[in-house]
Amino acid sequence: MNARALQALWGTAAGRTGLGLLLLLGMLALAAASGWLPLDGFRTTNLQWASASAEHWFGTNRLGQDILARAVGGAATAFRVGILVTLGAIALGAALGAVAGWRQGGWLDEALQYVMGVIDSIPIYLLAAALAFALGGGESAMILAMTGSFWVATARLVRAEVARLRAREFVLSAQAIGLPAPLIVVRHLLPNTVHILLVQATLTFVAAIKTEVILSFLGIGLADGVSWGLMLAESTQDVLAGHFGNFLAASGFLFLMLLGLNLVADTLQDAFDLQGAPA
Amino acid sequence: MSLARTLAQRLVYGALLLLGVTLLCFTLMVQFGPDKTYELLGKNASAEQLEEVRRALGHDQPFLRRYARWLGELAQGDLGTSDTNGEPVTALLGRAFPVTVMLVLPGFILGNLLGLGLGMLAAWHRGGAWDRLVLGGSVAGLSLSFLVVIILLQILLCTPYGLNLFPTRGWRVDDLGSYLAYATVPTLSLVLVTLGYNTRFYRAVVVDELGRDHVRTALAFGATPSTVLFSHVLKNSLVPVLTRLLYSIPLVLVSGSLLLETYFGIPGVGKVAFDAITSGDQPVLLAVVTLTAVMFVVVQAVADACCRLADPRMQAS
Repeated sequence: MNARALQALWGTAAGRTGLGLLLLLGMLALAAASGWLPLDGFRTTNLQWASASAEHWFGTNRLGQDILARAVGGAATAFRVGILVTLGAIALGAALGAVAGWRQGGWLDEALQYVMGVIDSIPIYLLAAALAFALGGGESAMILAMTGSFWVATARLVRAEVARLRAREFVLSAQAIGLPAPLIVVRHLLPNTVHILLVQATLTFVAAIKTEVILSFLGIGLADGVSWGLMLAESTQDVLAGHFGNFLAASGFLFLMLLGLNLVADTLQDAFDLQGAPA
Repeated sequence: MSLARTLAQRLVYGALLLLGVTLLCFTLMVQFGPDKTYELLGKNASAEQLEEVRRALGHDQPFLRRYARWLGELAQGDLGTSDTNGEPVTALLGRAFPVTVMLVLPGFILGNLLGLGLGMLAAWHRGGAWDRLVLGGSVAGLSLSFLVVIILLQILLCTPYGLNLFPTRGWRVDDLGSYLAYATVPTLSLVLVTLGYNTRFYRAVVVDELGRDHVRTALAFGATPSTVLFSHVLKNSLVPVLTRLLYSIPLVLVSGSLLLETYFGIPGVGKVAFDAITSGDQPVLLAVVTLTAVMFVVVQAVADACCRLADPRMQAS
């Protein structure tokens, strides 16, 4: 990773807080997923809607499941979905953005820009719904929809940067000594867009988590398993009856995770003097 | 470049964009989507009946012909009929659209005005206490999920556990009083969830403009902060502000209303789209996607025209 990025993250209070929050949640999710913590979000008990206690920190839900365990499980889901979408969208955005930027003005660039325009014109929830239709719903349709939509923001920024750098001397020298174009793009241009990719990765992560929650709530995301979106969906009935466990746990964890990511994104943007484009 | 040529280019590009959006969604929903023949017939259908329904639905035709037929109907303003209740989609959406506009318009305006105010405050005191407060608040705002904001405000304003001032859900609007009763909590949710993004945007725009020479000159001549902010800064930031405002219209109308209307049970475009998603109503969903894309095309053209008016320099390029 970029030395400047690491320095900024460790060197500022906001960066340290953000990184700390993410590490904490990540370790918690890992520990619960691998069974090191006695948190089983699927085990049902007779204790329905129990209030908070030493044994159940956030109480239990309708099925008597421990809400804290489900919130931690939701963190694992958020990390899984977020990381998959981010990796896919950033890789796709970097690759296609670099191609478009290198061929700026050519037919390939025009074609790619057209595709980006088309995708930008379809709201993410509708695209997710259409893909859920085609693939029969579930997590993979949701991840595919987000990846297929979020890469565009990154691709536009990478395209502009590559097009700007293309006329610089180091690229002209590389061309002059006969380096093939793909090699120049991969070895000399893409490394110069790492600051964009880092910022976009955190912003894409934020967008992925927010979208996962809403899609799962709407019933076109995660169907089973644990998710903050599903917990919030459950909580809409709970809160009317005065049970706040699901809502407090899911929204609290969700807020901390998004806050961590936003603080990291902010610190990186400041360090690189860059304005990102939310996916 | 002449205006006529620019307009013609815009039209062609808009048409191509629409073609791309509809082809993509038609492929996903109709080609790979579930076959509705069996649902419509129920159990124990004979082979003849199946054949008949397939013909009526056009399933016996090749994909491209079906798409062409759908496009032809679209060109005549016919969006088909809903699979769930047989109502013409145009009537369905015509009824829902005004509801959505009434629902999101106040929140959209308030959210932008508040964002502008806070952004100006922060930019004017750049680096100071106000700036840090506003920026910190906006980071917290960015970290709030729309869903969480909605549920939280509902608990606080609509249930006996909070102030219990408004109905929890529904939309029985016939006068100003009932409108305020049903629209207040959704409006506040929309304002709160967009405020972080709006504030940052306006702050960045104002900071950018405040750093310019003409502002320094105006200040040196003793112009008051309000003169500088409103008649120098805001006027010169018209292009990015207008662009952003226009581009967020389709998103607010479709994406924003989807969650709000689903949650509060308000019969607008978002609710229509959500019902179409859950019941697998392809004609309705296709219509919503198509009309959203049309909005994007129109917005792009309007934004272009507005920016040319606001900044005559752009006409040269």
